[in-house]
Amino acid sequence: MHDGSGLIAVQNLTKQFGSVAAVQNLSFTVSPGSVTGFLGPNGAGKTTTLRMLLGLVKPTSGIATINGRPFHQLGQPGRVVGAVLEAQGFHPARTARNHLRVYAAAIGVPDAQADQVLGLVGLASAADRNVGGFSLGMKQRLALATALLGDPQVLVLDEPANGLDPEGIAWLRTFLQSYARMGRTVLISSHLLAEVEQTVDQVVIISRGQTMFYGPLDQLRQSQRKRVLVQPSDVNSLATALRTAGVHVEQLPDGRLAVSGVDAKYVADTALQANVSIYGIQEEQVDLEQLFFQLTSGQYAGYAPAPYQQQQQQQGGWA
Amino acid sequence: MGNLVQAELRKTTTTGLWWGLLIPTAVLALGWGLATGLLGQFFVDLASSSDVDEVSDFLGVTPDQWKISLFGIARAINVSTIFPLIFGALAVSGEIQRRTITTTFLTAPSRMQAMLAKMLVYILWGAIYGLAIMAFIALGVVLTSNSGQLPDAGGWAMLTLVCVLSSILMTMFGVGVGALIPNVAGSVVILILYFLVIENVLHFVLAYLEVPSVIGFLPNGSINGLTGSVAVDLFLSTAGVVPPEIEDVLRAIAGASGALDWWWSGLVFVAWAGVVFAGGWAATQSKDIT
Repeated sequence: MHDGSGLIAVQNLTKQFGSVAAVQNLSFTVSPGSVTGFLGPNGAGKTTTLRMLLGLVKPTSGIATINGRPFHQLGQPGRVVGAVLEAQGFHPARTARNHLRVYAAAIGVPDAQADQVLGLVGLASAADRNVGGFSLGMKQRLALATALLGDPQVLVLDEPANGLDPEGIAWLRTFLQSYARMGRTVLISSHLLAEVEQTVDQVVIISRGQTMFYGPLDQLRQSQRKRVLVQPSDVNSLATALRTAGVHVEQLPDGRLAVSGVDAKYVADTALQANVSIYGIQEEQVDLEQLFFQLTSGQYAGYAPAPYQQQQQQQGGWA
Repeated sequence: MGNLVQAELRKTTTTGLWWGLLIPTAVLALGWGLATGLLGQFFVDLASSSDVDEVSDFLGVTPDQWKISLFGIARAINVSTIFPLIFGALAVSGEIQRRTITTTFLTAPSRMQAMLAKMLVYILWGAIYGLAIMAFIALGVVLTSNSGQLPDAGGWAMLTLVCVLSSILMTMFGVGVGALIPNVAGSVVILILYFLVIENVLHFVLAYLEVPSVIGFLPNGSINGLTGSVAVDLFLSTAGVVPPEIEDVLRAIAGASGALDWWWSGLVFVAWAGVVFAGGWAATQSKDIT
């Protein structure tokens, strides 16, 4: 049936919902043994991509495979891939244990497995309570327990940290890392890089349905550039002096200069030669979050609020 | 496949819906059973006291021996099976509404197999509802009827058979509609409106247009025909030679105007249930679960 490689492959995946292109020509692969973060702002197409991978949404074009096969050719999918897609897929009047026993039967694992995964996610004491009374965090844990029922090789999680308290997030991080270290594949989506930064080894960053970055997180870290922010007495003189030396300079709205590619010492020496005083200088480290914003900015960006001037205009009318 | 059937069975037994709908089913069946006996008794008393000799003559039996309860039982089955119909309608629409369909599809080898497993489990539930309906109707009828108006053992067996069959088929029809209209309120309201109002109006119109034979080919007409025709056949088997006009009247009383033979009616409804299920399956197969 499938090759047991634990490899997730997405090739030229496109999904069109009417006139809306949810996902456009997306390609990436996810290897076993590491946790891969699938990142992008809300509405970037993450959930649609994961649902296409899991055979729930039919791609307009392209293909997504797990272990070399599309989802519906996996045979016993529950034993190959476990998925946490939303914390809402429960009947409120069914107990946690009965919910798991239903799907344990479907996957074909013994009922004892239901109690085992309940213990694994820390819900053993709530096993006989109706899911309708669960908090969002408990539902997330139960969704994860459901995904783990078939002891799958591949784990796909869509925003699993939603509703989890800091303790729960820390627990999930440890759990996913140890799961990946057993040689399994973990793909986890999030709209916050900071949320998964300590969990993931690889990242796929998408925006507007397209891949913006795909590779190890370390590579992303190395790609970040330092900037020197300087407040000179004469902005134009310093900018000219730096540009003459072939350095990239950008004027910031607050009157400072942003100098890339060189360190603070170089900027200060140049200023001295150009007879410009320096009132303030600072080396800035662009953090991953800012890099993430740069990669994904634009979609659904709102305008800055307009200044409050309606009343003045009205007064003008009276004058 | 056995795994999926067990999963579907557990889905139905781990929530209270099955008994929540079984209670009103039992109450309705018992109520119709009691009313059948009381109305039948009233009718027989009326017939015995007035000059109905003519009718008695060609029915070949005296009014107190008319198996009048048969018609009430047929009607009671028709009305009570509206609950297994609703139970079936919630099978797929409920899962889509509660979003459990996602996990159902993630744990099944294919959507086709998930739907088939569901159908098998709901056939079983249809049979359970059918047996319960017959038991409560029988209880009501036996409590209020004279023994002369009751069917014989063979009659009871035949009625039980068509009751269970009717209940199973209605449940299957409901499963199909629930898959076709994946909205709990929408599918339930449409089914109740159609079976209790729309098609009855249609029957009236068709009878008025003097093409009553079309009725037997409509969904409610055919499922009514399944039970109604058996009731009429059983009634006539104890009566003498009956003129065709009177037979038509008896069919109307049994709720089987224009109906075909019982097994033909059953096959017609099987075809309807098959068409609806195929439609629901096709809709579910291609649906994007977002």
